Amino acid sequence: MMKNNDVIIRVKDLKKSFNNLDVLKGITTDIRRGEVVVILGPSGCGKSTFLRCLNLLEEPTGGKVFLDGTELTSPSVNINEQREKMMMVFQHFNLFPHLTILENLTIAPRKLKKIPADEINKKAMELLTRVGLQDKAEAYPNQLSGGQKQRVAICRALAMEPEVILFDEPTSALDPEMVGEVLDVMKQLAGSGITMICVTHEMGFAKEVASRVIFFDEGVIAEDDTPDEVFSNPKHPRLKEFLSRVC
Amino acid sequence: MKRLKSKSYSIRPFIILMLLAITLFAFVSCNSDDKSKSQSKVQTIDDLSGATIGVQLGTTGDIFVSDYEKEGSTIERFNKAADAVQALKLGKIDCIVIDEAPANAFVEINPELSILEEDFAVEEYAICISKKNPQLREDINSAISQLKQDGTLEKIISNYIGDSTKGQFPYIPKKDVDRSNGTLKVATNATFAPYEYMEGGEIIGIDIDLAKAICDILGMSLKIEDIEFDSIISAVQSGKSDIGLSGMTVTEDRLKSIDFTDSYTTATQVIIINNGSIDTNVSFKEKLHNNFVVDSRWKNITNGLLVTLEISFFAVLIGIVLGFLIAILRSTCDKTGKFKLLNIILKAYLTIIRGTPTMVQLLIIYYVIFASTDINKILVAVIAFGLNSSAYIAEIVRGGIMSIDEGQFEAGRSLGFTYSQTMFYFILPQAFKNVLPALCNEFIVLIKETSISGYIGIMDLTRGGDYIRSRTYEAFFPLIAVALVYLVIVVVLTWLVSKLEKRLKNDEK
Repeated sequence: MMKNNDVIIRVKDLKKSFNNLDVLKGITTDIRRGEVVVILGPSGCGKSTFLRCLNLLEEPTGGKVFLDGTELTSPSVNINEQREKMMMVFQHFNLFPHLTILENLTIAPRKLKKIPADEINKKAMELLTRVGLQDKAEAYPNQLSGGQKQRVAICRALAMEPEVILFDEPTSALDPEMVGEVLDVMKQLAGSGITMICVTHEMGFAKEVASRVIFFDEGVIAEDDTPDEVFSNPKHPRLKEFLSRVC
Repeated sequence: MKRLKSKSYSIRPFIILMLLAITLFAFVSCNSDDKSKSQSKVQTIDDLSGATIGVQLGTTGDIFVSDYEKEGSTIERFNKAADAVQALKLGKIDCIVIDEAPANAFVEINPELSILEEDFAVEEYAICISKKNPQLREDINSAISQLKQDGTLEKIISNYIGDSTKGQFPYIPKKDVDRSNGTLKVATNATFAPYEYMEGGEIIGIDIDLAKAICDILGMSLKIEDIEFDSIISAVQSGKSDIGLSGMTVTEDRLKSIDFTDSYTTATQVIIINNGSIDTNVSFKEKLHNNFVVDSRWKNITNGLLVTLEISFFAVLIGIVLGFLIAILRSTCDKTGKFKLLNIILKAYLTIIRGTPTMVQLLIIYYVIFASTDINKILVAVIAFGLNSSAYIAEIVRGGIMSIDEGQFEAGRSLGFTYSQTMFYFILPQAFKNVLPALCNEFIVLIKETSISGYIGIMDLTRGGDYIRSRTYEAFFPLIAVALVYLVIVVVLTWLVSKLEKRLKNDEK
């Protein structure tokens, strides 16, 4: 508990099962403020489920999740309020098709944080400028390419000024030539002090940007170390096998 | 190019309307050709066996001729005597069995019809009254005997029947009567001249004058309810009306469910036949004039239209509010497993509403649920059609909600929105756009379905046309006029919705 102020997310013995299938079999880990954590693992290992349990999109079957000292898994917690501090970027973007790009960015701050329209519009335009999409502000999501959509989705998350962003395979649904533009935005973010937890298959990103790599295997953490250690000196046999297949 | 396109779009409905009108009027000539050639095969009472006999549903004529069914006759039961007259004129039936007085009135305006000299039956008219109300029955009986003694009743009857006395003795309600004994609600069916019929927008006739005279004696004020003849007894039974006064004969069957006062007049059942001799060559223009201009008959259409629009509008409103609510609750249960019990209740509600005919629902709401309350009929119709529509809208909208990608929910929730905020800001707007065509369809069905409002005595568009029909004995013009008005409403609605749909689509493309 000494480093409590440093720990932003604390996960204790997190379990999740669907019907009789145990997907997460007890995950315990701490994530510190400002860390860029990349979660690797073969498909079906539970890494996406883990991410979705962190913001309670999936209800954990057991264990506890703390965000900044508050227990999210407690029944008395106002989960909507807590989620404002922890945004999520989805594999399939999930932009709101009936709203313009600008409205996609501003609706949550306006309705939930009651930020005045001109203030949040200005901020949203700054964010869009940062990702090079300022001229798409009045467009609708269907008019954008996949890469553009995902950049907008990241801006939508940033507009809420969260402490943590969860990335759930942000580049998996993109055409290969669009992966780069999204990773560039994520690399930019990594230096800004925001806590990032990414489920991804982009090994380059993990090597270059991550401060820590967690390898999931069959519902448990098999290895948890710096990217250097993980990639150059893998210990767990399943990790070795995994790396030999993807690298 | 774009401007041209949008212009042609906006006039399209009117082109369709024009084409339809032309097609319909092309039928006029065909229609008048094969008209009333057939002379009735009934010439004496003995010919009734095997013939097709028209009666008004639920009248004594109906009861009497039912015996002929065993002898191979076909009985056609009409809601209104005037409909039977039309059928006879068109040769669809061989004769009509009906009370003498209205028969005279019908034959007077329809020269090709005549009454057989032999009377079919003689019967006595009385007022029907609930068995639960013996005191009122006694009061009315003493009022009737008083009216018989002082000659008032005779004057009332001779004011309507008899060439020399007609119009001589109009009954004028006394002004200085203390009417503190309440209101006498009288159910009647104003299609039965001279006992009760409409003239100049008012219900008049022997029975109506009799009701006025009774009210003067009892110190009550009078309220006339114009409903279908076969609904009168149930209206009196349920307490919707205090008495039924509609040229009604005492029969054994009726006595089982209702009481009758002493008889106030004797009437004869006669047989009307079609001689097919008179060539009614009235010009198109004259017919048009007769159907719509005389007596300002067009007002029946316009007033009816207003009522139809009023009912439809508020019913749609109730339908949307209730329908969306049910849809949201049901899809919430589908998605999260909450409200399980409520969901079962709602499912039962949808099953009942969607599983029974709208007309039966309307009648149940009027005669059963609001039986003993004096409620505005239009309100009853609004509630009935609103509830009915809500069931269909609920399932349409639920389908729309369930069709929205789960990711939209997750995106909303992950941003910090509550379940209901997510529903309201993200799911419903998208679902609404998707289900708009189906909703429009439901609104069209609803508007047309309000045409059954006449069954509880509402003067809606359809009944307005029916009323003209009962005065002019002409089927074509009133029906086509009514059909065209419905068509215009639906075309305008469809056009508005397609404009809205286009606007919502423009948002994305």
